[in-house]
Amino acid sequence: MDLKNITVASLRKMLDNKEIGAEEATKEFLTEIKAKDEKVLSYITVTEEEALASAKNAQSIIDSGKASPLTGIPLAIKDNICTDGVKTTCSSKMLENFVPPYNATVIEKLNAENYIMLGKTSMDEFAMGGSNQTSAFAKTKNPYDTECVPGGSSGGSAAAVSAGFCTAALGSDTGGSIRQPASFCGVTGLKPTYGRVSRYGLVAFASSLDQIGPIARTAEDCGIILNAIAGVDAHDATSKNVAFTDFNEKLGQSVKGMKIALPKEFYSDAVDEEVKNAVMSAAKEYEKMGAELVDCSISSLKYAVPAYYLIASAEAASNLSRYDGIKYGLRGEGRSFEEMIRDSRSRGFGEEVKRRILLGNYALSSGYYDAYYLKALALKQEIIKEYNEVFEKADVILTPTAPSVAYKIGAQDNDPVKMYTADICTVTVNIASLPAINTTCGYDKNGMPIGMSIVGKRFDEATLIQTADAFEKTFSPVRCTL
Amino acid sequence: MDIKTLDHLCNLSKLNYSEEEQKKTIAQMSDIIELMDTIKDFDISYDDTKDKNEIAYDDLRKDEAKPSFDTEKLQQNTQPRDNCYVVPKMME
Repeated sequence: MDLKNITVASLRKMLDNKEIGAEEATKEFLTEIKAKDEKVLSYITVTEEEALASAKNAQSIIDSGKASPLTGIPLAIKDNICTDGVKTTCSSKMLENFVPPYNATVIEKLNAENYIMLGKTSMDEFAMGGSNQTSAFAKTKNPYDTECVPGGSSGGSAAAVSAGFCTAALGSDTGGSIRQPASFCGVTGLKPTYGRVSRYGLVAFASSLDQIGPIARTAEDCGIILNAIAGVDAHDATSKNVAFTDFNEKLGQSVKGMKIALPKEFYSDAVDEEVKNAVMSAAKEYEKMGAELVDCSISSLKYAVPAYYLIASAEAASNLSRYDGIKYGLRGEGRSFEEMIRDSRSRGFGEEVKRRILLGNYALSSGYYDAYYLKALALKQEIIKEYNEVFEKADVILTPTAPSVAYKIGAQDNDPVKMYTADICTVTVNIASLPAINTTCGYDKNGMPIGMSIVGKRFDEATLIQTADAFEKTFSPVRCTL
Repeated sequence: MDIKTLDHLCNLSKLNYSEEEQKKTIAQMSDIIELMDTIKDFDISYDDTKDKNEIAYDDLRKDEAKPSFDTEKLQQNTQPRDNCYVVPKMME
């Protein structure tokens, strides 16, 4: 049975109707991974044995009629989410052999639904990058064109969904790391509101920006997964106790009368024409459905990239100071404590991670703190203010997800500035703690997917899913062939 | 960015660079800082009275003793000696 393009919702029905068993479905995905992942390199670790054991257990629950929405559903997990007993490398030599002693809260929540973990997916090292090419182990390729990047940092998760190596996956998003790879790989990715999903067990990059979310084939599937992983957690003081019933509760509701804002700065010359045209065509499609398009401005976007990189790098420099090679992680050599720590970190971290630590410590150091870090925090306040003003006259905001489609592997090597500025369309969402969803809205002349982002008010993920779903129902996706 | 600044940052960051790596890193960090410098054009000051604390401290877990992780499991990623972490001599 070909499950390559199956959705979570469809597989749920098939499992419940006994058209397929959980073990058969799991074996189908494992066979696909074995046969084809060498072309894509989306997984770092495939947990075949554990997956088959979970499938057997899930089947008994399905047979008893007590299945939850994700019982028996094979998913992939980004390799920065801690999994008890299964290596969690963050695609870094620093954590090459790290086996967490506990599960992240999201994993506990998925386990409570008896999901099946197929394995851990590759990513940019410590989630720092937008190409997956900073991974120390598996430099993932785009399933639409294996000469192109899949995006990042959740590039392994997005590529695995796109290639049909799982039904859906978890990723994490600090500055666009769910939405941009979802855009490049032609799938749907949801970055929830900061605080909606517990970060306990997510290896920290920038704690005020990081958020776990789903990558799937449809907005509906994102909603199903978000239903399972959302909620306040005593282990994460930044998780919020905001009630929800079902993130898919607005599915199928008309978008007639909905106000969709188009901030002019997101449609500047920095964005490729083909991308702008595809997103504007989608806007027109919404207009046909009865939505109202609203012109607006977010003028602080001009400074968003430096503001983001200063805040994120400052937090990263602090968070990554824990890697000293003593309790876990690569252990270097040295006759003194200082020498040993410096050797551990110099050998364990890759170039991009080191650059971000340097930048973070630069921004926080004496004499520079006010000029860089405090200025970035001032920008954060301004960005939040501007988004609040837009949401006074609109329900959602529509923007391109990335300035271009997936580019050739190597095109941005050794050019960190080019890589950073490519994040222009996504970083403000994290700075303002907003939810956003990417879905495919077209293809360029070479058949590469183009993504659009729908940004919503805090904790209004249901409207994002409704809006993305409404477009997906009018759009015929071209799935990749490997 | 010059060698003196990089040295200072390496001390803060606990990182080593070879001579060859230093040249490349100084060039790349100079470009990055040039990009960061654009923020200086933005005429606004940080107002700490605007930032309300996002964490409701009433919601924090109670400070009570509970069974925690097994020591052996916590030390599975290192090579402990007598349940202790082994480090180089810190004092001569």
